[in-house]
Amino acid sequence: MADTEVSREEVIATFLANELEDGEILQIGAAMPIPEVAVRLAHFKHGPNMEMIFIGARMNVAHLETLPTPEFGWDRRTVRWAESFSDTGHRFDRVKDWDKRVFFIGGVQVDPHGNTNLIGVGDDHSHLQFRGPGSVGTSTLSTHVGRYYIVLNSHTARTFVDKCDYVSAFGWGDGDPEARRKLGIPGGGPKYCVTPLCVMDFTEDTKHLRLKSLHPGVTADEVQANTGFELVIPEKVPTTPAPTAEELEIIRTRADHRGVLRR
Amino acid sequence: MSSPKRDERILDEMDAAAWVRDGMTVAIGEPAPMAVMRQLIRRGVRDLTVIGSGLGLDMLIAAGCVRKTMAYYVGGGFGGAVAPSFRRAAEHGEIEVWECEEGILAAGLRAGAQRLPFLPWRGGVGTSLPEVNSDLKIIEDPIKGETLIAVPAIEPDVAILHASASDAFGNVQHVGGPGWLDLFLQRAADRTIVQVEKIISNEEVRANPWATTIASIDAVVRVPYGAHPFYSRGHYVQDKPFTKAYVHAATAAAEDDDRSALDEFFRRFCIEPATHGDYLEQVGVKQLISLYEY
Repeated sequence: MADTEVSREEVIATFLANELEDGEILQIGAAMPIPEVAVRLAHFKHGPNMEMIFIGARMNVAHLETLPTPEFGWDRRTVRWAESFSDTGHRFDRVKDWDKRVFFIGGVQVDPHGNTNLIGVGDDHSHLQFRGPGSVGTSTLSTHVGRYYIVLNSHTARTFVDKCDYVSAFGWGDGDPEARRKLGIPGGGPKYCVTPLCVMDFTEDTKHLRLKSLHPGVTADEVQANTGFELVIPEKVPTTPAPTAEELEIIRTRADHRGVLRR
Repeated sequence: MSSPKRDERILDEMDAAAWVRDGMTVAIGEPAPMAVMRQLIRRGVRDLTVIGSGLGLDMLIAAGCVRKTMAYYVGGGFGGAVAPSFRRAAEHGEIEVWECEEGILAAGLRAGAQRLPFLPWRGGVGTSLPEVNSDLKIIEDPIKGETLIAVPAIEPDVAILHASASDAFGNVQHVGGPGWLDLFLQRAADRTIVQVEKIISNEEVRANPWATTIASIDAVVRVPYGAHPFYSRGHYVQDKPFTKAYVHAATAAAEDDDRSALDEFFRRFCIEPATHGDYLEQVGVKQLISLYEY
């Protein structure tokens, strides 16, 4: 299958896929191509009991050869694999079992403690320099899910800032490992932050972003230069593993047979 | 001797739109009820507070109908992160943004429906939402002492929804749905208008009352293709070229101060067509029937 070079996006999707366990419920929002491929890869490779919720459509397609990306979330003809829609009632009507749920979040800004911002950029909320799309359901999801992953499409000093202008999803607050518990926020918080350059985790004592692995061809200096605050960089940083032959075959023939991650 | 007759609740799209007056709070369902919304634009309604999302809301903003938005997500579609007219109006201070989140909005609508002053919600604790929206209050709950957000009751003057069918008495039956927050909007609103693809007989409703998704709605508007250019479950899919043309025109207006294409869009599709039928003629039969394919 390795007829073309492995793309960085395929490496990231594989990393995320191997984070996911069979039986988990995966919530994927709009415009998140890498998590979409990651959950399909995990589902086909090792997760036949996973349930995937694409926006509002809940599905399990372990029996299918492929799963084309649903183009649109609410029409049963375009999402013909859905077993149910979460808008019977409302999708937040039951959050008490969300510790089994995994979620992927984006952001206009991310701070060192994994707090994220979808509201916008600028000091004056009534005249923002950049108006973001809004918080969607991320304040509630980040509060309740067992764990979540911050997944960004770019890694720049404008995105990774010392302090978010606004916080729409509470990560680790000011870095106190007890910050969530003190506020009564039950979910497990952000586990990793994944960007086009690297994977980051959080230090145990100050919940500060720390370089965990570098994608092939990326250096730690490059990551630091594109980050607006000082990252914790361990002495040795491994390379994010490339997909195995099996994983690449599943990506290219089933999980991403249209090649979205190779464009 | 004949009994008095039960009143029918069918309105045309013009009379339905007349329920909405300047300054009201209007809730827009999913998919956007475009036939009635086009009449709002045509009437030049102003200063609305709109609970809605996406490109339907963006069109109302572009047409100058909106003073305040209560939206948790105004994405641009087709890969655009933010809808163009919303983005421009918010950045220029031309609209007030009641900053919220899906769970918070749902809590406020529930409170409105249940005659409660507020309902608590946890999602948003620790975020900036209560700082940028002073209507949201941080409270300590009196039972366990937990930190929560009190969301004030939201009560739209009018909710406008789109569905598949209704009888003449406002018994609505969806084909798939009702979508997303539609039931919350209807329960919280003072009055609700539902536009439908077709009117069915009362006998057909009574043949399967369990299929009735919203009962005894205030007004029914019969508008086949009434959600165009958006989708209608069980009937047609989104008209992507049309929607893209809108995004293109609105982006030129928002980013380059060139309103010519946007003004032409509104003239051709909202101002000149007096009725929904006129609008469908303007869009064209071939375009409309192509929307059964996907």
